[in-house]
Amino acid sequence: MSAPAAAPAVANGAADARDPSGFLSEIIGAPVTVKLNSGVTYKGELQSVDGYMNIALEQTKEFVNGKLRRSYGDAFVRGNNVMYISADS
Amino acid sequence: MAEAEDAGANPVNEPLDLVRLSLNEVVFVKLRGDRELQGRLHAYDSHCNLVLGDVTETIYMVDEEDEGEDVRTVKKQSEMLFVRGDSVVLISPQQ
Amino acid sequence: MLFFSFFKTLVNHEVTVELKNDISIRGTLKSVDQYLNIKLDDISVVEEMKYPHLSSVKNVFIRGSVVRYVHLPAAAVDTPLLEDATRREASQAVAKAKQG
Repeated sequence: MSAPAAAPAVANGAADARDPSGFLSEIIGAPVTVKLNSGVTYKGELQSVDGYMNIALEQTKEFVNGKLRRSYGDAFVRGNNVMYISADS
Repeated sequence: MAEAEDAGANPVNEPLDLVRLSLNEVVFVKLRGDRELQGRLHAYDSHCNLVLGDVTETIYMVDEEDEGEDVRTVKKQSEMLFVRGDSVVLISPQQ
Repeated sequence: MLFFSFFKTLVNHEVTVELKNDISIRGTLKSVDQYLNIKLDDISVVEEMKYPHLSSVKNVFIRGSVVRYVHLPAAAVDTPLLEDATRREASQAVAKAKQG
């Protein structure tokens, strides 16, 4: 019964324990792998993400069947195509 | 904490800003169904609906005879093209 | 709203609608709604030999979601105006996102 009235005091680091998008904001600027539903993967530096899982990547390499297909300076990926985002480190 | 506030000063703080900065520039667009476009970006919205000018479309067709390596490409031109956003996979400014 | 308004400026122009099933239909744009459903008049089907079942149809209502492309006459598009409208819509979208 002595529980705190609200939980705004949750520290940033702990946020990802209950909220997946907390993880995403923590890895902004880090090298990531993005896999699409089509199987294509992108490796680059995560510039930004929004609520639709739209993604902006920098210095991106595109891999199809594990083979490098193309490189992009900047790339916007439409969120509905994304299967997962993984931090490389 | 201050980081979220400072983000307002950053010209690229959400993914679509990358697209906004490409207005009136040539962009590369990857679409579903093994299609690619290259053209000048004149309009977009949050669904990724696009209007491109002076467009080259490249379609990759796999020849079904022998499975695998044989990929045929077909190129088409269009002077002004509306692209429905749900087909869009990736947009990249061309350097 | 941007593309709804944009298509309204193209009413009575000749366009070619390319569908996701690869059929292309040319005709006069007669009307458009907020879903970007499209009504075409005086239509002809590109590659009619391949799709003879549409050759007797004079006008069509196309559901927006089946559209891949709409090929437009470049002369009917004021590109600087369109870019300005896009920037306005983009800043409105950001303002809305911050409120929400």
